[in-house]
Amino acid sequence: MGPGGGRVVRRMLTGNAAAAWGARLADVDYVPAFPITPQTEIIEQLAAWAAAGEIPARFVTLDSEHSMLTAAGAAAAAGARVFTATSSQGLLYGFELLYTVAGWRVPLVLVNVSRALASPITLEPDHNDVLAARDSGCLQLHAETCQEVLDSILLAYRVAEDPRVLLPVIVNLDGFSLSFTREPVELPDPEAVLGYVGTYNPRHAYVRGERPMAQGVAVLGGAPYSYFRYQAHLAARNALRVHEEAARAFADAFGRPYGLTDGYRLDDAELVLVMSNSCATKGRAQVDRARRAGIPLGLLRLRVLRPFPHDAVRAALAGRRAVAVVDQNLSVGAGGITVTEVAHALYQDPSRPPLLSYVGGLGGKEIGEVEFAHILADLRRAAATGETPPPRLLFTDAEAAQVRTLLAIAGKEVAG
Amino acid sequence: MRTASRVVGTAALLDGFAAQDSPVYGAERRGAPMTAHVRIARDPGRAFIWERGPIPAPDLVVVADDTLLDDPGARPLAGLGPAGALLIATAHDAEEVRQHTGHPGPIVARDFRSLGLEHVGSAAGGSAALAAAACVLLGLSAAAASAALRSELEVLGLPPEVVAANLRVAEQGRRGLVRLDLSTGDGDATRPTGRVVDVAYAPPEVGSPTVTAKPNTRSRRTGNWRVFRPVIVLERCTRCWICFVYCPEGAIALDADDTPRIDYEVCKGCLVCLEECPTHAIAKVAEGRRWDPVGAVS
Repeated sequence: MGPGGGRVVRRMLTGNAAAAWGARLADVDYVPAFPITPQTEIIEQLAAWAAAGEIPARFVTLDSEHSMLTAAGAAAAAGARVFTATSSQGLLYGFELLYTVAGWRVPLVLVNVSRALASPITLEPDHNDVLAARDSGCLQLHAETCQEVLDSILLAYRVAEDPRVLLPVIVNLDGFSLSFTREPVELPDPEAVLGYVGTYNPRHAYVRGERPMAQGVAVLGGAPYSYFRYQAHLAARNALRVHEEAARAFADAFGRPYGLTDGYRLDDAELVLVMSNSCATKGRAQVDRARRAGIPLGLLRLRVLRPFPHDAVRAALAGRRAVAVVDQNLSVGAGGITVTEVAHALYQDPSRPPLLSYVGGLGGKEIGEVEFAHILADLRRAAATGETPPPRLLFTDAEAAQVRTLLAIAGKEVAG
Repeated sequence: MRTASRVVGTAALLDGFAAQDSPVYGAERRGAPMTAHVRIARDPGRAFIWERGPIPAPDLVVVADDTLLDDPGARPLAGLGPAGALLIATAHDAEEVRQHTGHPGPIVARDFRSLGLEHVGSAAGGSAALAAAACVLLGLSAAAASAALRSELEVLGLPPEVVAANLRVAEQGRRGLVRLDLSTGDGDATRPTGRVVDVAYAPPEVGSPTVTAKPNTRSRRTGNWRVFRPVIVLERCTRCWICFVYCPEGAIALDADDTPRIDYEVCKGCLVCLEECPTHAIAKVAEGRRWDPVGAVS
C-alpha cells in the first residue's frame, strides 16, 4: 500500500518501461511517435497497449521527429494531454518545434533518452542532446533512476499544466544506463495517480466549435515578440515554485520526495561533487567510499535544469571548501555546460568555493575509480590551497592506449 | 542472454533482494556478442542498488558461448578475480576450461547449448538452463528462479508450450548444482590503477573519425556468431548466383566457374542463403563448438 492507500506494485522495470508506465498512468490522450535507439521501446510499449485497448490514448506514427513534435504541439493546442519521446539525433531533427511549441505555451511532456550526438555517431549517452534544448522554453527534469523517470513524468504533467506555467516539459533519462537497465520500480496506484495529475483544462489554447481562435500567431516588431517570449521566461521561473508545490503533493501521495536539486550526505560535506542523471549514482557510491576513508565528501545532483534553480544551487554549495562539477557534455570551444550555470549561481555569494570543472562520460564512457580518485585529489588540494586546476577531460591512460589501438586498426599513423 | 540476466534479476527481487540488470549491446542483429550485468544486494534490507554500468570485478561470470573466451573483443573473464566463479556453456569439461583459461576459482562447465537445442529446439533454450544454474550458484531459491523464468518468457510473448519446454530445460540446467561462496567483497570497489592523462591536439588525419585501412571489417571475425553453418551441396547447385546476391555480409564469393564459396570466418549464420536457394542446395549443420571460433564442424 502507498502512503495514501491504493494498490502499489514493485517490479523490475527498465527506464524505458518506466517512461511508458508514466504516460499510461498519467492517462494521456495522444501519443505521436517515431522510433530511434535507445528510445524505441517506449513507443513500442505504448503502441502495444494502445493496440490491445489497454490504454485509451490515440497512438499515431509520424514520418519524422519534426512531424511528431508538430503533431504533439498541435494536439496539445487542441486541449489534449500529449506524451511523446525521442532521443539524440531525433531531438535535433525536431529541434525547430521545441521553440515553436514552447511559444504556443502547450504543456506536453516529451521524454528524451539521452544519446551522444553525431559525429562520430554512437548509441551511448551524454547530455549534449537534451542540453541543446535548454534555451528553447521547454522545462527539463533529469532523472537518476528508473523510478524517478516514472515519477518525473507525473510531476511533469502537474507542473506543465499549472496555469502559472503552461510550458512543455522534457523528462530526460540516460540511454543504456537507464533506458535498458532494470531496477525495482514502484508502480503507484492508477486511481491515486489520476487524482494527482488531475484534468487538463486549458483557458488559452483549445479547440471548441463555439469559440474559434487563432493560435501561434505571427508578430512583427520586437515589442510584442519580447513581451511574449519574456512571458515564457516568467512562466519557466514560476515553475520553480510550482515544482516545489507539485513535489510536496507527490511526496504526500506517493511517499517519494523530489527537490529542485538532490543532495547526498551534504549536511557536513566540505567537498562536493556536482553531477546529474544516472551517473550521479556512481557519485553516491564514491561519496560512501570517501566517507569510509574519513573524507567529508557530498554530492549535489542537478535535477531540474530548466528553470535553473540558482537559489537552491547557491544554498547547497556556498561555504563549502571546494566543489567539482562533472559535466557529461561538452560545449565545443567552451567546455562543460552546467559548470557555467553553477558558477553563475555562486558568483554573487562572497563565500563561494573554488569551482573545479571536469568533462567526463562523453558518449557513455565510464567514469571509473581512476577518474574519481583524480577529482578527489584535486578537490582536497583546492580546499587546502584555494587554487583551482584548469578544466579537464576525464580520460585515462588505459583509454588513451585503447584509442591508439583503434587508430592503428583504422590505418592511422599515431606517434608515441 | 539478456533474458537470462533478467531471470536472475527478477529471481533476486522475488527472493527479497534489490537487484539491477543491464544489457549492453551494439547496433548488430541477434547473434552478435553482447554482455549483461546483474547486481544483487547482499543485504536483503537494502532497497536499491546505488551503482551503475558494467561491473568491474564480478563475483560470478556466466559465459554462454565458449568461443568468446578467445575473442579479443569480448574478454569475458576480464575483472574476474581468482576467487570468482565461472559458469560456462561448453562441450568441454571444467578441467579443460581451467587449463584453457588458467582460472583458479570455481568453474561450472556444462553443455547448456546442446541442452537448449535438445529440449527447446534452439540454442536460446540454453539460456534458460544457464539462468537456472546461475540462480543456484548465487543461492537464489528454485521457486523464485522458476517464477522469474516463467514471467520473463511470458513477457516475450512465447507460447505456453515453449515456456514449458524452457522450464524443463531449466530443471536440467540446475540439476546437481549447489550454492557457491561468492562473498569476495564489493565487486564495484576496485583499486584505481592508472591515471588521468592529457589529450593533445592531433592533426585531422588522426583526430577525425575516418578509416583509411582497406579491409577494416575483415579484421573482425564474426564466424563465432553462428549457431548453424550453411553448407553448399555442390551437386544440387546450379550456379545461379542467388546466394551470392542475397548474402547480407558479402560472405559468399564466386569462383571463376561461378561456384559459390562461403567464407566461414565472416559468415554470421543468418541462413538467408538457405532460405533463398531455389534448388535447396544449401544445408544447415549445427556448429560443433571448439575454442577456435571458425574451427572444423565436428
